[in-house]
Amino acid sequence: MKLIKAIVRPNKVDDIKDALGKVNISGMTVTEVRGHGRQKGHTAIYRGKEYNVSLLPKMEIEVVVTDDLVDVAIQAIIGAARTGEIGDGRVFVIPVEHGYNIRTGERDVV
Amino acid sequence: MPVASPVIDRLNLMPTSKARDLETVEGRRMLSALLAAARQEFVADIQRGHGGTTAHARFSNRMDDLIRHIVAAAHSQTPTPVAVAALGGYGRRTLCLQSDIDLLIVFDGRIGRPEERFVKGVLHPLWDLRLTVGHQVRVLRDFDELERDNPEFLLALLDARLLAGDGAVFKPAQERFRGSSVECREQILEALLQLMEQRYLQFNHTIYQLEPDVKDSPGGLRDITASRVFASLVEWPAPPSPLDRDNLDSAEDLLLRIRSVLHLEAGRNLNVLTHDLQEKAAETLRYEGAQPQQRVEALMGDYFRHARLVGRTLERARRLAGPAGRDTTRVALGLNLELTADGVGFVDPQRAATEPASWLHAFEAAMDRGVPVSDQSLDVFQRQAALYKPADYLPTPADRQRVLKFLHPRPGLYARLSQMLDCGLLPRLFPEFQAISFRVIRDFYHKYTVDEHTLLTIRGLERLLSPDQPSRERFSSILSELRAPELLVLALLFHDVGKWKEDNHAEESLRMAQSMLDRLDVSPDGRQDVEFLIGQHLQMSRAAFRRDSDDPAVVRQFSTIVGTEERLKMLCLMTLVDIEAVSTETLTAWREELLWRLYVDTYNQLTLGYGDEMIQREQKAVAALQATRPPDLSEAELARFLEGFPQRYLALFDPAHIYRHARLSRDIHPDEVHLFVEQKDDVWELAVVTLDKPYLFSNISGVLSYFGMDILRGSAMTSPAGLVLDIFQFTDHEGFFRFNPSATPQFETLLQDVVAGRQDVTALLQRKESGLLHRRGPRRVAPIVYFDNEHSQRYTVLEIVAQDALGLLYRISRVISRHGCDVDLVLISTEGNKAIDVFHLTKAAAKLSEPAQMALKEDLERMLEEGYETH
Repeated sequence: MKLIKAIVRPNKVDDIKDALGKVNISGMTVTEVRGHGRQKGHTAIYRGKEYNVSLLPKMEIEVVVTDDLVDVAIQAIIGAARTGEIGDGRVFVIPVEHGYNIRTGERDVV
Repeated sequence: MPVASPVIDRLNLMPTSKARDLETVEGRRMLSALLAAARQEFVADIQRGHGGTTAHARFSNRMDDLIRHIVAAAHSQTPTPVAVAALGGYGRRTLCLQSDIDLLIVFDGRIGRPEERFVKGVLHPLWDLRLTVGHQVRVLRDFDELERDNPEFLLALLDARLLAGDGAVFKPAQERFRGSSVECREQILEALLQLMEQRYLQFNHTIYQLEPDVKDSPGGLRDITASRVFASLVEWPAPPSPLDRDNLDSAEDLLLRIRSVLHLEAGRNLNVLTHDLQEKAAETLRYEGAQPQQRVEALMGDYFRHARLVGRTLERARRLAGPAGRDTTRVALGLNLELTADGVGFVDPQRAATEPASWLHAFEAAMDRGVPVSDQSLDVFQRQAALYKPADYLPTPADRQRVLKFLHPRPGLYARLSQMLDCGLLPRLFPEFQAISFRVIRDFYHKYTVDEHTLLTIRGLERLLSPDQPSRERFSSILSELRAPELLVLALLFHDVGKWKEDNHAEESLRMAQSMLDRLDVSPDGRQDVEFLIGQHLQMSRAAFRRDSDDPAVVRQFSTIVGTEERLKMLCLMTLVDIEAVSTETLTAWREELLWRLYVDTYNQLTLGYGDEMIQREQKAVAALQATRPPDLSEAELARFLEGFPQRYLALFDPAHIYRHARLSRDIHPDEVHLFVEQKDDVWELAVVTLDKPYLFSNISGVLSYFGMDILRGSAMTSPAGLVLDIFQFTDHEGFFRFNPSATPQFETLLQDVVAGRQDVTALLQRKESGLLHRRGPRRVAPIVYFDNEHSQRYTVLEIVAQDALGLLYRISRVISRHGCDVDLVLISTEGNKAIDVFHLTKAAAKLSEPAQMALKEDLERMLEEGYETH
């Protein structure tokens, strides 16, 4: 099992959800986050005054999938999240030892 | 009606000697049977919908019996005199099916091993019965001083009731914690207020929760207790009225009946009336309706009405328990109004009942004085409101204007509107509001009824006046810049009235707002703003959260929807408070930041980036203008006039003004000026059409300054063909236009002369300007001169923020012209004492070079620094 963690543009969450749904991956956790990548934010100007927007609003999507679905899931996420512009985000893949269903107590069922 | 229980009757008669040994199987079985029988009896009451005050009291009594058996059995463990008392809700005999058993054990002497054995003897059997016990063990001496750091215990003691043991121990303890000293009373008040504040904060200070906690929510059972405590603390002649007592008793019965269903269904101490349990409660309590949803609405309507009464009673009791409660003075306010400790009320309520037009006066007076409208007046409104039509409340145009003025955001507006809603006046003034009264929308996010959500948006706006978080200050400053914030409040009041329907509520709200706008005679400009806000109130959150607001195309599209900075500001604030009023968790810092960024990008697009977007002959808006064109304007004439002006022009002016401007452009020749001056509310508007030439903008603004006009807002546009349209809004402090019938011709003559070069405006202003410079006083706004060469492909955009002063625009534009720059577009705005001017410039038909910008910036900054006092 792997935990796929994607940091994406806020408006891309619905597209990613749909794309994952099409490859039969339905569970996900979505969190509002702020951060910056290589572009380190940017400077905005309001009424002639500059202010630094260093932490940009992004969404973090977490999905746990079985090993055989990792590539499919990543392609779905990248395909839906990409605009080709700076700031499209990142995808990380992290190994998961075990997962439990709290209601049933089942182990390693995604 | 209570159900006879033979089991309980038999157990109650059990000899004490037999009950004494509870360690035996027989003893334990006896206690289990007692508890089971008490619960069975209570459950029967609950299932019949009768689990209210009487059933709770009976269950409490049964629990008393059980505990007395236990205490009697344990009593031999200690020689020390001891008393066991019920605390809190159990003390008040409102013990519910799954409530905790709160007990106080007081010893008259030190606590040693025998006393510990006694405590165990009491608690262990209760734990064996799987009851949750909250126990407090004290010695009598502990009550010599109040436990100030334990407010819950302090209040629970007020309801302490002796269950078993030595009355001679309990009585002195009770006398001490119920002491009538001023210090004691103040401690209790402080504890109560502290706990209330904590509790109210959890619920965002509102009664109207979609899933209320019938115990803890505002208007819930704890508030009933609080009202009674406040009332018990009042020494002066202001006891709770019989009406208050009846309200509380009736509300308590309903809330207890609901709570009993929750405890029964959940099988635990659950007091939240969730959506799922609302259906069960409505069915058990026999609410009528063919469908479950109708029964739920009937239940929730009843719940909110009672909770509201509790809230009102508590507020009154709280007020009377405070220092204001002692004030018996009456201050006459005129118009049959007076100010008392209870708030603003009527001197003659009977007369007021027949004069609905006077009711708004009571709310206005209450707002002005920062006090509520008195309960007596609210009762009058509640009884009489249904007798009158909306027009009866606002019979004259002046009355209708007063409503708008009343809606100006300021501290207390939410509280007064809530009073209006509670007494039924708001839905009479605005019958459209009735459709969302107690309206429940079930979704994952909304926590309040639609009517309350609406009022909470206005509370959000009110709170922006003095923001409690640094991140809100930026929104607060937008609010302070609005020209007519009352229009935003009016739009907020109506933005969700269409939610009585399931689909497209923005469209329905807009439809419903039409009759209100007719009734209130809202000005055409104001009406358009309100219609825009209601109809488009979801657009900004869609653009900010569901689209890529980093994409310039999204910003451009959104800026086309809003059209002007004023509407952008109103829509931004509307979006902010609308999200915030959904629940306490909805408006995260993340969302706030996204919203602000969209605001800034759109503001920049509207002010810095509008110059490149020209009106297109074939666009829809132009076709619409041509379609309604008056006969005296030819199609070609109108098309020629519009050609080359920015799109923004169409967003700024309505068709009537556009046609007037087109007429002004007719037969214009070099050095000629065609103008039109009109008064719009408190300001005057000057429209000037002429042909472009150097120093033109500076000369026109100079002539306005010469006549003492304070320029507030405006815009200037130059078409590529050289046609110039300048619009200025200004205040005429000296009354030149108002009191002088020949003002316009005089003004026109001088302007013609100045534009034609026959008069030198600089020479005319020299004496005046010098005077003005000396009157400037200390500087409060640090000047900003900023150049932007990115937003526009054709222009260098110069943005200047500076302290407003008479003649400022003239001085700025003069410096610009001296540098050989052409002023093609100008936006002028004034926000408080701050002037914000944006110029689109070219020099020799190109953007300004870096050195040219530097040189101009230096001169402008020097000019802006001149004339201020230095400290």
